[in-house]
Amino acid sequence: MNNPGENYTLPASAVRIKDLYKDFGRLQVLKGISLTARQGDVIALIGSSGSGKSTLLRCINLLEIPTSGEIHVGEEHIRLARNRRKETVPADRRQVDRIRTKLGMVFQHFNLWSHMTVLENVIEAPVHVLKTPKKEARQKAMTYLEKVGIADRSHYYPAHLSGGQKQRAAIARALAMEPDVMLFDEPTSALDPELVGEVLRVIQDIAKEGRTMIMATHEMGFAKEVSSHVVFLHGGVIEDEGVPDYIFQKPASERCRAFLSRFF
Amino acid sequence: MLGLEGYGPLLLQGARLTVYVGVSSMAIAIFLGLIGMLCKLSASPVVRFFADIYTTVIRGIPELVLILLVYYGLPTLIQDITAALGYPVDISLNPFAAGVLTIGFIYGAFSTEVFRGAYLAVPRGQVEAARACGMSGPLTFRRILLPQMMRFALPGLGNVWMVLIKATALISVIQLPELMRSADIAAKNTRKPFTFFLAASLIYLGITIISNIVQQWAEKRAERGIRRA
Ligand SMILES: Nc1ncnc2c1ncn2[C@@H]1O[C@H](COP(=O)(O)OP(=O)(O)O)[C@@H](O)[C@H]1O
Ligand SMILES: [Mg+2]
Repeated sequence: MNNPGENYTLPASAVRIKDLYKDFGRLQVLKGISLTARQGDVIALIGSSGSGKSTLLRCINLLEIPTSGEIHVGEEHIRLARNRRKETVPADRRQVDRIRTKLGMVFQHFNLWSHMTVLENVIEAPVHVLKTPKKEARQKAMTYLEKVGIADRSHYYPAHLSGGQKQRAAIARALAMEPDVMLFDEPTSALDPELVGEVLRVIQDIAKEGRTMIMATHEMGFAKEVSSHVVFLHGGVIEDEGVPDYIFQKPASERCRAFLSRFF
Repeated sequence: MLGLEGYGPLLLQGARLTVYVGVSSMAIAIFLGLIGMLCKLSASPVVRFFADIYTTVIRGIPELVLILLVYYGLPTLIQDITAALGYPVDISLNPFAAGVLTIGFIYGAFSTEVFRGAYLAVPRGQVEAARACGMSGPLTFRRILLPQMMRFALPGLGNVWMVLIKATALISVIQLPELMRSADIAAKNTRKPFTFFLAASLIYLGITIISNIVQQWAEKRAERGIRRA
């Protein structure tokens, strides 16, 4: 990412992680991850299943509380503390809620709210968290639904949509918060193969708009074409990383080469 | 034989009071059920312990015993204590309040289990998606968790209501003139027990049939968007 010698200031960092550790009881899942996403970066997280991709993404928005380490979102440092049982907990829940509004998350299994229509899903958080007036929220929601190509399904309940439509609705829901960074956790892994393309196209469009994204994925073609930086996770550490040309053509890590050989 | 001999209005008044007692107790039961559920899911072992005590003890004692214990036992206990301390007071409970509180308290324990089951049935991802958007815990509970829990809780709550409305007959023992007590009075005065207890049965049956219809409507509403059209 860094281009030494060029007379050019780097964009500000959108997410900065330093020395992140996460244990589940005795199981150490992340073992010292440091990673910076600058504004406009599209970072692809690759690695075999169980390597810690989801855990890393979930630590960024505090769905999992890191055991130790630092997370900065924009200018803000997420403050952590210890409770009586010596567990790490957020020092300020309100700060966490505020920071989460700046991080849009798209889940592998969509997690659309099943008791609401697509439109209701998309306006829920803008109306109740950001306090956007309902009418304005609805108008914005419709532009995002148009962008992901399901404006005509806005009054459907999630149960009546295909997997691809559900994921596009979930992307619209995340975009409606106008987040600084989008986090995608294997957004196409739960989809039938013929539906993967429509979702990837939407994500690609978002990437082209210059939105900062961190995306765990097994779609190597997509990572190669769309990402600006690829991170290969293995056993909870960053085993190798670099621009796509580097990772996909001459990675230093033997494990990375072995992993990629399964795809090409 | 089936004439009500002028006791019809008394029965209807009794039926009205039964519905009042039932609805008020159910409101308390739902409120206590939600509190009990939150306690059972609490991170604190002490809070969980007391919630377990509540559901185990209450569900293990017959309703009638608890009603008598609260209505007659509680005031005498308080009187004995205050007398022993040198400040004798005379306490008697209002039968409506005592009945409603006791029944609400009992069925709150059953509702706790219903809500706990419903909570566990809501997929974790639904809550995670809400938290990931920056929704606070209380907001997530109100907007996401509660509506989704209702779908799983309604059949169980309907059950609680059916048993509860029948259990209100037990508070006739504390002289509250609800349906059962009114039927009893009419039966004794006219010496026609069959007529009046049959009439009371039919009214109870009518209440449960209407409840069933309301429940089906509510369950359908709660399933909006879930069933494939
Ligand atoms: N909540 C959890 N409790 C215990 N272990 C977990 C939990 N979440 C993830 N893990 C474990 O952490 C490891 C990494 O998981 P994950 O981050 O989901 O990997 P990936 O997304 O790369 O497949 C796995 O071994 C998984 O079993
Ligand atoms: Mg994963």
